Amino acid sequence: MSRRLIATALVLASTTAFADAPSTDTPPTTTVAVGAPDAPPDLGDQGIGAELGAATGGHITPGGLRIAGHYLYQLSSQDWFDGIAAFTFGGGTAACFRDRMDVYICDHGLAQGDEIEIAATVRHFFGQNRDQFWPFLRGGVGIGIVRYSSDGVTGLAIPVHAGAGIRASITPTLALTIEGDVQLGFGAFNHTLGLEPQLGLALTAGVEFKL
Amino acid sequence: MRIAAWAAVAVLAATISCQSSDVSRAVGARCDTNAECDTKCLQPSGDWPGGFCTLLCDDSSGCPSDARCIDEEGGVCAFTCTDDPSCAFLGTGYACKAVDSKGAGAKVMVCRGG
Repeated sequence: MSRRLIATALVLASTTAFADAPSTDTPPTTTVAVGAPDAPPDLGDQGIGAELGAATGGHITPGGLRIAGHYLYQLSSQDWFDGIAAFTFGGGTAACFRDRMDVYICDHGLAQGDEIEIAATVRHFFGQNRDQFWPFLRGGVGIGIVRYSSDGVTGLAIPVHAGAGIRASITPTLALTIEGDVQLGFGAFNHTLGLEPQLGLALTAGVEFKL
Repeated sequence: MRIAAWAAVAVLAATISCQSSDVSRAVGARCDTNAECDTKCLQPSGDWPGGFCTLLCDDSSGCPSDARCIDEEGGVCAFTCTDDPSCAFLGTGYACKAVDSKGAGAKVMVCRGG
């Protein structure tokens, strides 16, 4: 058993991500044809980005102003790891109460509550040999802390993310992005709320830089 | 696999959309203190079993459409009713009673205890 574990660890350790591969002027001939890139050539193997937008939630999913930071790391010719740190600022007034059955209920508006979340996603570019605009899909999972301060409600949320967007290359090192993201999952909350569903939608726009 | 995923999404959406109540922080929620209500908590007693969140009012125009302003505690909103079963959603101890309305000078049928 231990030999198998050691062998597995060695295989994983010897595997390098796309971004760790030695830099050469010639792209991998198996996946990329010369003059026909599979992804934005200006993105490079690593990048960072920042986005600003709006998120909608409701009930016990936060919504409001969304600020997100991205770290991109190339995994393959069309896929990038997209690590995200996102903040949602909704604030709002108290909206939780005990119904007549003594069940604690929260009925917040679309843009209430606060959240800080980190997410690990993969961004996949599709299309080939595009000039400036590169559509992409993004999917992954996150973990976040949700807070409705007016009600004293706090929870730990684990949402699955699915999104789509377009990246527009502006200069060799800078690009603009716009994307929509759906989050679906569950959160564990205090105040006897227990496990509650999370369903939200975000629309953001931002800028990305090649590292 | 795909069907199971869509079923999970449907259940989740239904769970979210069905999360509603006949009462609210404004009128009808259970309470022990004012902090649990938008405006005022009529604390648990024989008159208001389990406590009752309400709004202060001078007449019924200051209450939700399914409530009337009654002449208690300086004027508070209470749910209107036609008979005792129509107060059943508030739980045990509530019945449909005629009380003095505020701002209209007449009796009005509302749900309350006592």
